Amino acid sequence: MNEQLVTCAALTKHYGSKPALNSVNLQLGRGRIVGLLGPNGSGKTTLIKILCGLLQPTDGSVTIDGQPISPYTKSIVSYLPDRMYFADWMTAADLFDLFADFYADFDQEKSLSMCASLGVSPRDRLKTMSKGTKEKVQLVLVMARKAQLYLLDEPIAGVDPAARDFILNTIITNYNENGTVMISTHLISDIEKVLDEAIFLKDGQVVLHDTVDNIRERESKSVDALFREVFRARNFEGGAY
Amino acid sequence: MFFRLLKYDFRSMLKQFGLIWPAALVLAVVNSFTLSGMESTSRTGETVAGVAMIVYVAIMIAMFVTAVIFVIQRFYRGLLGDEGYLMHTLPVKSWELIASKLVCAVAVTFVSIVVAIVSILIICRPFLRTWDADFFEFFHWLWKNFDGNVFNAIVILVELVVLLLVGTAQSYLMLYLSMGIGHLFHKNRVAMSVAAYIAIQAGINTVFGFLGGVFNNPLTRMLEHLLWEADGWVDLHTAFWIMIAATGAVAAVYFFAANYILKNKLNLE
Repeated sequence: MNEQLVTCAALTKHYGSKPALNSVNLQLGRGRIVGLLGPNGSGKTTLIKILCGLLQPTDGSVTIDGQPISPYTKSIVSYLPDRMYFADWMTAADLFDLFADFYADFDQEKSLSMCASLGVSPRDRLKTMSKGTKEKVQLVLVMARKAQLYLLDEPIAGVDPAARDFILNTIITNYNENGTVMISTHLISDIEKVLDEAIFLKDGQVVLHDTVDNIRERESKSVDALFREVFRARNFEGGAY
Repeated sequence: MFFRLLKYDFRSMLKQFGLIWPAALVLAVVNSFTLSGMESTSRTGETVAGVAMIVYVAIMIAMFVTAVIFVIQRFYRGLLGDEGYLMHTLPVKSWELIASKLVCAVAVTFVSIVVAIVSILIICRPFLRTWDADFFEFFHWLWKNFDGNVFNAIVILVELVVLLLVGTAQSYLMLYLSMGIGHLFHKNRVAMSVAAYIAIQAGINTVFGFLGGVFNNPLTRMLEHLLWEADGWVDLHTAFWIMIAATGAVAAVYFFAANYILKNKLNLE
């Protein structure tokens, strides 16, 4: 088992001529809850998708548990995308069977008990479920695994503040404590209380990576306050209006 | 892992065709009754028979159109669309994803053809009784021409089915490769897939045309000789296996190219 769970070296990704990630160097250890923080378009989703193998980097390298992206790394990564990814004809129970078939670390009993506590009927067709219920099913799929790396792309975007607490609570009470959770968001104040580390991503570059305690001590302000300072909109972008 | 993928692709297939296949067979049975009763029934009976036949033809057309849409959609939406977020994060190799879609697509086509043939036989069954003499005469002629060699006749039939399956797989792999090439572009991916399909087809025609011109196409000449001047069963079997191998070789090229794109160039943006 490698000491560093995630290592990115000079990781670069271009969409056509437009850079999305620009020479990102990053190392993540184990047993941490990490906030991947940045405004829209800063490269958060791109970084997560590269770690999942859904995007290929233009340059640089990335390893998870010392291995390049491969079926092995996919077997230890649990990914919550920013969209629905399942076929509508399935039921939640079908999806649980699928995950149990492919992921040795998927706990089917836990998935059913999580469904009960989240008010989801596993036998219902996904087609008949509301958007919020589908999101809960996806959250159950991801958190019922004992993964080494959880990649959660904007899990609290687009939901009301009460639901945000509910989702965050589900995450922190269900993740594998020896694993690392990476949560991408721009809603810092909601997740700051659960974070061990914060990564600020700006224009595809890591501008800050430190523990939340260090940030608070050094800057004498919350991560949210520092985020607002670092990413303050310039006048011509509407900041002064 | 491959067989687990197959399990889910086959479930998706049954979801789509679980109704249409039995419906085609049931309608064939209905038509066999309505058509056989037409001679002795009234105008109403004729109308019922006409409607039943129209519904049967419609369901046949729907079955094959659905099959083509299914093949394209299962690959495009399943691997290059939103469902790709699930499939490409499963701990499987990219060739297993393609192979699973391909086996399922060939199975859909094969079963649809079998359903079509069986349904036509069901419809024709009442008439076979009146055609008995001609029908059995035909088999008698066939038997004589095969010189009573049932074993070789069966093997030829199997070879024909294998050629059909490999040919179908090759056609679908060409579609997969085209969609893969279209996926390499950032914009207008569907239009680029269509353009890639046309380009591959043109490329294949040019390559084979060129080979034919330069070498006077020895393969074609050999096949013509083996098929039409067959000097016994061995020649005929050889011809079939050459065709199967040539089709399989082109299919393999498509497969490896499509796999290369999914493995090294995947960009689910």
